Amino acid sequence: MDAIRISNLVKKYGTVLAVENLSLQVRKGIMFGFLGPNGSGKSTTIGCLTGLLDPTAGEVEILGERFDAESAALKRRMGVMPETLGLFDPLYAHEFLAFVARMFGLDEAVTRQRVTELLDALELTDRSKTLGDFSTGMRKRVAFAAAVIHSPDVLFLDEPFESIDPAGVALMKQWLRRFTEQGRTVFITSHVLETVERLCEEVAIITKPGKLVWQGDITVLARDGAISYDGMEFEALEPLFLHLTGERYTDLNWL
Amino acid sequence: MNTELIGALVKLRYKLMWARTRTRNGKIALFFAGYLLLVFFMVIFSLGGIGAGIAAVRMGRAHTVAAGVLGGLYFQALMATVLMGFGISAAFADVELRRYPVRAWDRRIARHLLGLADPFWFLVVALELGLAVGLYALGPGSIWLGLIAVLLLFVSNYAMAEVVVLVVERLVQRKGGSAVLLVCIMCLGVLPAAAGPAMRKHPQLLAPLLRVLHYTPPYGAASAMLRPGMEAFYGLAVIVWWLLGLSALLVALERHPPQARTAQAGALSWQGPCERVGALFGPANAPLVAQWLRFYSRNNRFRTVYPLAVPLVAFLAFTQAQVAGPKGQFANILGCFALTGFIGTAQFAVNQFGYMGGGFRRYFLLPTDPAALLRTGSYTFLMLSAALIPVATIVVAVFSPIRLDARMLAMLVGAAVTALFVMHGVALWATLLGPRRGNFKASFGNDLSLAGNVVFIGGMLILLFVPRLLAHIWPAAVAPEMWWAVVPMAPLAAAFYFVSLRNACDVFRARREAILSVIEGRT
Repeated sequence: MDAIRISNLVKKYGTVLAVENLSLQVRKGIMFGFLGPNGSGKSTTIGCLTGLLDPTAGEVEILGERFDAESAALKRRMGVMPETLGLFDPLYAHEFLAFVARMFGLDEAVTRQRVTELLDALELTDRSKTLGDFSTGMRKRVAFAAAVIHSPDVLFLDEPFESIDPAGVALMKQWLRRFTEQGRTVFITSHVLETVERLCEEVAIITKPGKLVWQGDITVLARDGAISYDGMEFEALEPLFLHLTGERYTDLNWL
Repeated sequence: MNTELIGALVKLRYKLMWARTRTRNGKIALFFAGYLLLVFFMVIFSLGGIGAGIAAVRMGRAHTVAAGVLGGLYFQALMATVLMGFGISAAFADVELRRYPVRAWDRRIARHLLGLADPFWFLVVALELGLAVGLYALGPGSIWLGLIAVLLLFVSNYAMAEVVVLVVERLVQRKGGSAVLLVCIMCLGVLPAAAGPAMRKHPQLLAPLLRVLHYTPPYGAASAMLRPGMEAFYGLAVIVWWLLGLSALLVALERHPPQARTAQAGALSWQGPCERVGALFGPANAPLVAQWLRFYSRNNRFRTVYPLAVPLVAFLAFTQAQVAGPKGQFANILGCFALTGFIGTAQFAVNQFGYMGGGFRRYFLLPTDPAALLRTGSYTFLMLSAALIPVATIVVAVFSPIRLDARMLAMLVGAAVTALFVMHGVALWATLLGPRRGNFKASFGNDLSLAGNVVFIGGMLILLFVPRLLAHIWPAAVAPEMWWAVVPMAPLAAAFYFVSLRNACDVFRARREAILSVIEGRT
């Protein structure tokens, strides 16, 4: 069974087409990289996959069940770290995490234990600061904690590693690897291609407007040393990405 | 002073306004309709001012009437800025202007120039200018001195509003500051009721009190408009001194911003006050109601406005009862008291999601019906407003200028409960159809959309004036003998609220993406 199945997904904002007929499947138990240039529709696609946005057309299935914004039971099995984080600035980190845990149906004892452990592990123990006073990296860590606190089966992470220090990134990667080892799925977007290359098993690359141009297994890079595409050999994800999405170079002689 | 960059910043504000307007044809039409309406009101206000000026001269007490009109306007403008947030919404915060190569003084001048250019102040100036012209037409004054006086008076009024707002903001951010503010407002509320009898008992106090008023800006402006020679210049000097003093105070307050209270977070509580109140709404709604309560209990605006609701109602009830004749006193109190059902939470109920910022997105990722957010938010504001009604009943019963019997008290409570349900029902639609991104940290300023303002201000005016209107056209309707009418009115209002809520939940599901983009500042 696929963890995520998208069929002919279309999303329009008024007359603007953000995602064009996107279809893809994500196997269960893998780390899946979803890549594309800025404005290509990655966040819009994640929005449609997590109930934030309503697709204009097409279908989304999560864990074998049809999903829409009101699928509360399915949402209980999903964790989401949105690009804009979705934090309540006047709350303290533990209050925010407790609220999220409670909404996901965790009882008091489990919530207490998980909130304490997450805050300690992610070094978010400064109790004099509300979320609005946290640095960008700390806010990212809180959003990550909120995404995993209920131990979901599918995890959607939109640019999870940006602004987080190397130690934090290493910890998160370690957790994510264990997460997939337990048969759970991670759907991740990132512009840091080296990270995706090291972390993910499969990757999909889209271009504007949300159009799938490539999907494949990238473990071949470690195994065979290159990915074959279009009669060419790519020794890393970056040249393949640039080939698919269009390389740009403009010289500014005053800079 | 870098006039070029200051000019560029002022222009930038209007460019941004236009950029937001031009996104849709409907918005452009609305913008021009609003602009024409503003011009229309300015003309009406100017004509009103001219009429008042001419009437004042014809009455033979031009100076007293002019000082009274200008003083009333000065005070009303102050109240409108402090209570309604008109005319003090900063177009740019100082920190936003720091990215441009302008010095601190230039940034300050740019910010306050933009503040003075708020349409609200145009209306104030229009009325004051009209009065100056009216007084000049028939009176002995100089038009030039009158124009200078109007200009200085309006700038001093703006400076006074800014100073009051900054002082109140500082007070609210201090520990126990809200309580101090509450006491001050309650004293102000009781003052009119206490001052009348005191003056009657000790008439000798009136003359020194009036002498003190000679040193106020409105009195100075009236002197500049009407008095000959040096007396006119003395009037101008009074305003200039006030303006200098207020400007110095404003700069000092801005240079020393309040230190944010750094409260240490408490332990993780499963049964805190917010959770206990939330539990009253059932297990499905409890966490969301608790979240609404916790969120707004940390909002400066809420912490300022909500505690002021009861003293303000009491103040209005006292003052309005005193301006009415004996037959209209209860009708006026009834109108003021009905405000209790809405005034404390109105700014939030008409724009429920406006202060959530990025947090709004989180709700749609939670395993719950999206409409539960709208429902629980509305329940929270309804409950908070309802909690004010018993307190206001006790305050008004104790301090009322007229004796209130049990029937009258029943009518007051019934009117407030009816207003509570009707206005919160209407507010749902303003939340859905006219959301606006607000500034969570600000204590003052008007962050509402046109729809929000129509419901907020229009609703309060309707509540205030309907009983008065009834007292004129159908006096029996507001007589204590009609106390039983509140029995069917309150349930009908509740039915209206629940029908509105059910329909609004459907609309919310459909409009949530549009609201999300407004709250996150994308449109």
